[in-house]
Amino acid sequence: MTRKYYPSLAAEVFTCRTSCGLTVKVVPQPGFTRKMAYFVTDFGSVHTDFQLDGQEYHVPAGIAHFLEHKMFELPGRDVTAEFAARGANVNAFTSYDMTAYYFSCVENFWENLKLLLEFVSTPYFPEESVQREMGIIDQEIGMHEDTPDTRVFEDLMKIVYNNHPVRVPILGSRESLRQITPSLLESCHRAFYTPSNMILCVVGDVEPEKVAELAETVLGTEERPAGKKLRPWQEKMQVEAPQCTGKMEVAMPMFQMAFKSEPVGTGMEAMKAEVIGDLAAEALFGESSPLYLELYEKGLIDASFGGGFETVDGCAMLTCGGDSEDGQAVCSAILSRGAELAQEGISEADFLRMKRSAMGRRIRDLDSFDSTCFRICAYHFSDFEYFDFPAAYAEVTQEQVQEYLKQVVTKERCALSVIEPKEEKEK
Amino acid sequence: MIETKELMPGVRLHSFRDTRFKHGALSIQFVRPMAKEEAALNALLPAVLLRGTRDYPDLRAITLRLDDLYGASVSALVRRIGDYQTTGLYTTFIEDKFAMAGDEILKPMLEFLGQMIFCPLITDGAFPVDYVESEKKNLVSTIESEINDKRVYASGKLLKNMCQGDSFGLPRLGETEDVERITAQALYSHYEKILRESPVELFYVGSADADVVGNLLKQELQKLCRQVQPLQPQTAFSGQEGSHETEKMDIAQAKLCMGFVTPITNRDPDFPAMQVLNTVFGGGMTSKLFENVRERMSLCYSIYSGYYGVKGIMTVSAGIDEAKEEQTRAEILAQLEACRAGDISEEELTAAKEALLASLATIHDSPSAIESYYATAALSGIAFQPDAYAAGVAAVTVADVAAAAQKVRYHSSFFLKGGSQ
Repeated sequence: MTRKYYPSLAAEVFTCRTSCGLTVKVVPQPGFTRKMAYFVTDFGSVHTDFQLDGQEYHVPAGIAHFLEHKMFELPGRDVTAEFAARGANVNAFTSYDMTAYYFSCVENFWENLKLLLEFVSTPYFPEESVQREMGIIDQEIGMHEDTPDTRVFEDLMKIVYNNHPVRVPILGSRESLRQITPSLLESCHRAFYTPSNMILCVVGDVEPEKVAELAETVLGTEERPAGKKLRPWQEKMQVEAPQCTGKMEVAMPMFQMAFKSEPVGTGMEAMKAEVIGDLAAEALFGESSPLYLELYEKGLIDASFGGGFETVDGCAMLTCGGDSEDGQAVCSAILSRGAELAQEGISEADFLRMKRSAMGRRIRDLDSFDSTCFRICAYHFSDFEYFDFPAAYAEVTQEQVQEYLKQVVTKERCALSVIEPKEEKEK
Repeated sequence: MIETKELMPGVRLHSFRDTRFKHGALSIQFVRPMAKEEAALNALLPAVLLRGTRDYPDLRAITLRLDDLYGASVSALVRRIGDYQTTGLYTTFIEDKFAMAGDEILKPMLEFLGQMIFCPLITDGAFPVDYVESEKKNLVSTIESEINDKRVYASGKLLKNMCQGDSFGLPRLGETEDVERITAQALYSHYEKILRESPVELFYVGSADADVVGNLLKQELQKLCRQVQPLQPQTAFSGQEGSHETEKMDIAQAKLCMGFVTPITNRDPDFPAMQVLNTVFGGGMTSKLFENVRERMSLCYSIYSGYYGVKGIMTVSAGIDEAKEEQTRAEILAQLEACRAGDISEEELTAAKEALLASLATIHDSPSAIESYYATAALSGIAFQPDAYAAGVAAVTVADVAAAAQKVRYHSSFFLKGGSQ
């Protein structure tokens, strides 16, 4: 394995690619009790169109998440119980563009890691259990429908994007679930759960070489090509619609807004684009911005307000939201302040202070095993070594941030999603 | 190892010196009795302190200062620990060695925290009226927003119904009408009273010597005229009779909450057995509730139990299809019966114990977990180290769990169902 040390972070990462094509990364943490492993595939809810073995597939919305639920079954074994018996917490999540399986434990790390590799690489989808899962996910969809934060964001995606599948909720719909079959699950597994489309990341007090050896023992040495993702996403930079309003049982109205941005690409360029977006968000509506103070003192936003730069495969946006009696007013204020800032630019002193603060927060986050694993994996799929982030901060200039604001904070790229309380029923 | 020092009467500094982390954490908490008359005042106070100090008079000045300190954070800390409520601030900051050459973080951070607590912005002998009014509005909206999370709302209603006559039924942040009554002057008087009377608990996790932290804060505390009022010790559940209530709301997924009481608190020798019972019964994906109510019978999406060790209350919370209420309720009680009968497999017992042991073993892996564990232990009136506690958990047998389950009594329930009001 190759070792790289990052003195400014007092951190190191060991990397290799096994003969079956799996990327393995290990961040040793001597003196810590907890050990954590993330096994992640570059496959999320937006990847519903792909080619495999010469055939084209268009699979139902929600299948990546459905597959995640179903991976936890192995013939004749109870995966969750085996982890639990060894004191490990196992879990998984599906996002728009990746699916992660992970555990953390204190003892029995190697047995747990072996089981993680085994269950995620073994497709096993009995018809009866696939049917039963529909009921469980129906309940999960019901829970999401009652969660205002989820609703306001999903509604926003529908009006920001014209075609991109980020418009569709990660869980899919009750109807799309009904089209999922064991054979479609197998195809998705074959296409994207092949080691060359995946990463294994371990953080903890373990021997890096042993991680790679175990991965090779369990996953074999033969490399299979992954499915080819089709991205027939025709996106204009203009949003689909400027505003939408939903009604729910909430105490106070809430909003989420976004400015649509160009997708960020890969590698150092992608990381720089993200830093630019984050600093632009900070300068425009971050807690240290004059606008934040003004909106807070007017009572238009409160401590729930927050935002930043978000990316998903094929999309990027500057987004913010929170509780507000008048999301429309917040949105207008941000638009006009953005125009001013694009003219004025950002002072050298402000720019350095924002960078220092952002870097400090990223360094602090390295103490979290979860956040470190998650970031290493997510950035790996866009071809970036996460611990190189200080270099991206060093290279970004205030002119780039100003240019970004000029280009992106405009009316055509802006959309606003609002959730209002249901009106009292007439007695 | 945690080290506790009495800096002066009624002021304790708990410090955990550790060089493994990239950031440190420091909290200051004033300990109050949990009471209807002051819950809202204690909840509002840190929010107002965070609005401005003598030298940093508004939010922006404060944030700019925190940015200079490499993105350090300060947030309000309002905890309910049994009969007590704490009010104070929690801060995190990266270790000095990650700053650019010559920059210090810890020392200026301590000065800044001292300023936030002891030198707030004062106008006309009180907190600025506009700050107080806007934070009152925010606090009311936080309280009212609870309704957004149906699970939190339903559990809150259950505890309120269960604990008529016990302070544990009071909402942690007070109630809307109590917040609305607060004036800038009343809040300021309360603040002065807290500085004068309340026991203070300081927690520090980081690489520095405890004395560095202690000496700086002591200087500020010595300026105060302190007349510490000691608190009553924690008490076990003393609520009235149970109640079973149903409420309608326009929602897609119904919530069923059930409340149980037990004489076993975390001050009791049987506490580890009760913890294991809660985990076997409803803690996590291998629990009886998850395995049976969700996996085997598909009655719900989420289900879990929680145990409030300081008080001796266990609750079950489930998100269900409302047509299945009776069936779910019956199955939950049947699973508790199984625990009482000692119908617990070796696998179930091991999984529960391992899960508890793993969470105890990892407390020392993060500054926030260290702070929260020791703060809760110190204020619960218990002194145990995670290690000693772990030994107790490891020794628990099926018979111990069954014995603990036999002491658990079903007390109340709250059902939030769909359909319009």
